[in-house]
Amino acid sequence: MNKLDKQFEQMMKGAKIDSPSEDFRIKVMSRILAEAAVIRRPLLQDYKPVISNRTWIVLSGIFVALVSFVIFQAINAAPSQVDQGTLSTLADSMSKVNTSLVKKGFGLFSSIPTVAYLIVLASLSLWTLDSFLSKLKHHPSNIE
Amino acid sequence: MNKIDDIYYIEAVRKGNVQAFSFLVEKYQKLVYTLALKLLKKPEEAEEMAQDTFIKAFQKLDSYEGKSKFSTWLYSITYNACISELRKRRIEFKSLDDRQISDQDEQKMHDYYRETKKEDQEKYLNLALAKLPEDDQVLVTLYYYENQSMDEISQITGLTVSNIKVKIHRARKRMYVLLHEMLKEEVYSLM
Repeated sequence: MNKLDKQFEQMMKGAKIDSPSEDFRIKVMSRILAEAAVIRRPLLQDYKPVISNRTWIVLSGIFVALVSFVIFQAINAAPSQVDQGTLSTLADSMSKVNTSLVKKGFGLFSSIPTVAYLIVLASLSLWTLDSFLSKLKHHPSNIE
Repeated sequence: MNKIDDIYYIEAVRKGNVQAFSFLVEKYQKLVYTLALKLLKKPEEAEEMAQDTFIKAFQKLDSYEGKSKFSTWLYSITYNACISELRKRRIEFKSLDDRQISDQDEQKMHDYYRETKKEDQEKYLNLALAKLPEDDQVLVTLYYYENQSMDEISQITGLTVSNIKVKIHRARKRMYVLLHEMLKEEVYSLM
């Protein structure tokens, strides 16, 4: 800075600097707090599904396997009962086989412990909550 | 020390203490508003723009790397926002007339200015500053009032350092011409 520059700098220090309204800081901070509530809401903004897609696939596999196991158990158990039936007519036997299958199937379902149902129910609730929270993700306002 | 203070509060905000941002608002509100006012002219618009600048700075705080001063980063947000607003309205800056004065004349004008009363000095200084083109007012304020370096002003405005040097030099001389004209008028009106 040369002498003229320095003189001018001294002179400029005497210039008036403009001030915004007295409540400027309050206005800005209230807008920022509103923004912060949206940007930094950890539960929603940084929300990641509790159960990953891979876990969902494994859980579905277990569920399908369980159901298949129950059905196959019922099918395997059915012929012995048919043999013990009257076997008078094909129609009769078929109806008995069907009835027996259904009864056996439901019987096996009822033998599954209540805890297993609770697990399935909890998983479904979690999945519902998961989809709901994912939809609730907020986006900060855009000021151009 | 200023930079360290700023970084302390910036880190606090980043860690989730939103209230720490109010320190930065308090510290820079006047200059952000002044820059906006110099460019936009209307106080209401300048205030709105200054508010938006702070909101934008808050939203982008994670992208501030600390390579430049926080003030430089903040003023660049202000300047760019004002320029895009003016571009939307297709307002172009007035250019300075090319009346050149020598360094000797400049010195004389400065001495003349120094002889005037303190209260008049401030009054005429602000009037002369307001008569400069908007972008020159910003450059002069940043360089002489806010002590931003040429490089920092280049970061803020996107102008080259050599362009800034020329503009500031011409603005300074033009300020003296304006001051001299106004003070002369004052003397004649008193006689």
